Amino acid sequence: MIHPDDHPMTSLARPAPVLELRRVRKSYPGVVALDGVDLAIYPNEILGLVGENGAGKSTLMKILVGLVQPDGGAIQASGKPIALADPSDAIRHGIGMVFQDGSMVPNLSLVENLFLCHERGFRRLGLLSRRAMRERAASLLKEVNIHTDVETPIAEVPPAVRQMVELTRLLWQSTLYGQANPILILDEPTTVLNEGERATLFRILESVKRRASIILISHRLQEVVEASDRIVILKDGRNVTELPAARARVAEIEQLMVGHAFSADRYREEEQAAPRPEQVLEVEGLRKRGAFDSISFSVRGGEIVALVGLVGSGKEEICKCIAGLQRPDAGRVRIAGRDLAPGSPSHAVASGQGYVPIDRRSEGLALNLSVAKNVNLLVLDRLRRAGLVNPGQERANAARWMSECRIKAPSPSTPCGTLSGGNQQKAIMAKWLSSDVKLLVLDHPTRGVDVGAKDDIYRLLRQLARDGIGMIVMCDTLEEDIGLSHRLMVMKDGRLVGEVACPLGKKPTPGDIIGMVV
Amino acid sequence: MPTDALRNGEVSGQDQHARARSRGVPALAYATGLLAVLVVLFSLGNRHFFSLYNLNTIASYAAILLVVGLGQMCTILIGGIDLSVGGLMSLTAVVFVLSLRIIGYWAYPLCLALGVAVGYVNGTILTRVRIPSFLATLGTGGIMSSLALLVSPLPVDVPASHYALLSVVNGSVLHLKNLLLLALLFYAFFHVVLRLTVAGNHILFVGSNITMSWMSGIDIVRTRNLAYVLSGLAASLAAILVSCGQFGGDPTLGSVYILTSIAAVVVGGTAMTGGAGGPVNTLIGALILSVMENGMNVVGVNAYFQQSILGGVTIVSVYLTFDRTKVPVVK
Repeated sequence: MIHPDDHPMTSLARPAPVLELRRVRKSYPGVVALDGVDLAIYPNEILGLVGENGAGKSTLMKILVGLVQPDGGAIQASGKPIALADPSDAIRHGIGMVFQDGSMVPNLSLVENLFLCHERGFRRLGLLSRRAMRERAASLLKEVNIHTDVETPIAEVPPAVRQMVELTRLLWQSTLYGQANPILILDEPTTVLNEGERATLFRILESVKRRASIILISHRLQEVVEASDRIVILKDGRNVTELPAARARVAEIEQLMVGHAFSADRYREEEQAAPRPEQVLEVEGLRKRGAFDSISFSVRGGEIVALVGLVGSGKEEICKCIAGLQRPDAGRVRIAGRDLAPGSPSHAVASGQGYVPIDRRSEGLALNLSVAKNVNLLVLDRLRRAGLVNPGQERANAARWMSECRIKAPSPSTPCGTLSGGNQQKAIMAKWLSSDVKLLVLDHPTRGVDVGAKDDIYRLLRQLARDGIGMIVMCDTLEEDIGLSHRLMVMKDGRLVGEVACPLGKKPTPGDIIGMVV
Repeated sequence: MPTDALRNGEVSGQDQHARARSRGVPALAYATGLLAVLVVLFSLGNRHFFSLYNLNTIASYAAILLVVGLGQMCTILIGGIDLSVGGLMSLTAVVFVLSLRIIGYWAYPLCLALGVAVGYVNGTILTRVRIPSFLATLGTGGIMSSLALLVSPLPVDVPASHYALLSVVNGSVLHLKNLLLLALLFYAFFHVVLRLTVAGNHILFVGSNITMSWMSGIDIVRTRNLAYVLSGLAASLAAILVSCGQFGGDPTLGSVYILTSIAAVVVGGTAMTGGAGGPVNTLIGALILSVMENGMNVVGVNAYFQQSILGGVTIVSVYLTFDRTKVPVVK
């Protein structure tokens, strides 16, 4: 446990920060990710960084490891301004990140991954000494309690070991560059770990702290409170506050994360109408090993159901199985009473199911093709005259759906890649709407979209509901989940753990729900 | 996620790049401009460049390049490549001439069917066996090159008694050579397929974003097979056109067309990354290549130097038209 006296906040003579970010700004087309964020990292501390999805945590961390360049602001290391142009720059300044799903070469061994690109020190007469590498690797890994054979390929070791190898690599590289106090960033390190491994991880972090600073990002607030010395809360790309972990309570942090009062009109809640009686989606006993188990639920026409849960709770996988993008191990999915062939997106689409992916650019659009082409993709069959696609009908259909979905584009022939995030999202929705979709799965429909476009999307969702289309949504924030949906389904560790009705005027607050999620 | 992080990290820069490019001159305009410049330069270099005889020579070569290029274009549009066109053309040439002696006019459909079958095999190796098209077609191309030499190690001639059978290509209608008419018909056919049929549109979608296409229910196996079938059909037709013109089948005639067919496609502005381009681009590309080939002879450029110029023009064209925003790492 942390002794109060070596707590950076409580000790009067606070040491100078090893790294300081001042007024850092970053915006992407149509969205401000960071709006003047300050962050100081002190030596030998564990800093907990929390905030909802989209609060700016990842962008901030990407700036720290040199993957993203800020638009404005200053970064200082030990009082001197520095530039972090790329990840190798960052590691020279002793800043490294342990990624959620590993940044290692799976078919190379532990020792090869550990020293990858930095093998120079092991040269004997110009050749690499495998023996020296093995011995060094074994001794480094022993410090973090890993006794696996260092010649094992990374793909064959459990995630906990992988994580430790990554951590060790960062520590070793920073000693290589003479950094006395490296900064290690751990992004959701515990999602891939079981209880025992989690305890081990935090015990090791406590000992690593003696020679490094650690930034811990986690949705599991309890572990942030327990493991860190200081907690910084971000919201909407701004600092909310900072508090010493010793005095922090989970409930208080939740409040600060969610922030402002819950405003009802933001999600066009007044337009929420009662769902229809008929069921458009029935899921029975759906199971996929390692992701989720015995999932049964149904969605009615015109009903918006929000799937709520942490990363790794299995909600994404459920949606992918319903859409045929992944094959479940067992269970049935029926759309409007018709059984779906598992693992076949074409069958799912033919049965009237649409899927709006989280990654628009790589999964949602043909970026170099025109808006019109993207919108018409699913209905080309219907735009034919005498067997050939009719250009006039193509234009008419595109124009109709572009105005219906309020897509702002210079012309229907503008390539989709040049549109803003919001208009791209509307183009994807227009594509599904123009076909006879009965069920729409929306994976973070407003991710990276500016406020105006968000409202357009909410308006569209309400209109779809009125037209009797059933929807499953997974939103960026709990607030949005609650605001949009008729019903919340809460997932945890691959199981449905609760259902909360969200009727108009009697919506629960995020505080009511978060307890079930975490 | 490191890869995602990298991708997202590059997004802002790429966006600007993409915007700048879309505001700028489209690939087709570059290509047309290049064609115009070449025509002017060569006609200044030799006043006979514009003679009817010379224009005819250019058009005949362009017709062949256009036909084989249109097929190649389909595989490039879908994000692949077809290196087997050379082997297929060689094999078709000897099969065409030998079968013409026996079955007469039936040699035409037979050879086109051969092209379709080879294309289907190429597509299947890619989609079912899952071997990258670069290697799959390199392999089948090699097999067919050797088969062509096994069938006939030396060029075979069409006997003079059978010349009438070649009039399908060698004849003319209203002073226009059938060769040109056939190439233009084929061009129109590809235009219709790619622009006005559902399957053709799917080729563009799959080439532009295969994940999205799969998630939207497009049958990507069938679509990719179709692209290779079209390429096989085009290569076999090109071999027939060449063989008719030469009154014989050369078992090695195809090898030069591997590079020139790809060059015609990319010089015209179709992106190697797939999804962007079309028949017009290939038409312009074929004209550029044939004008250069002919023009350099007409103005007397050293024959050994001509290949260097062709290579240079290909690289510059790809530089101007290649959309680097789609690939994080250029391989």
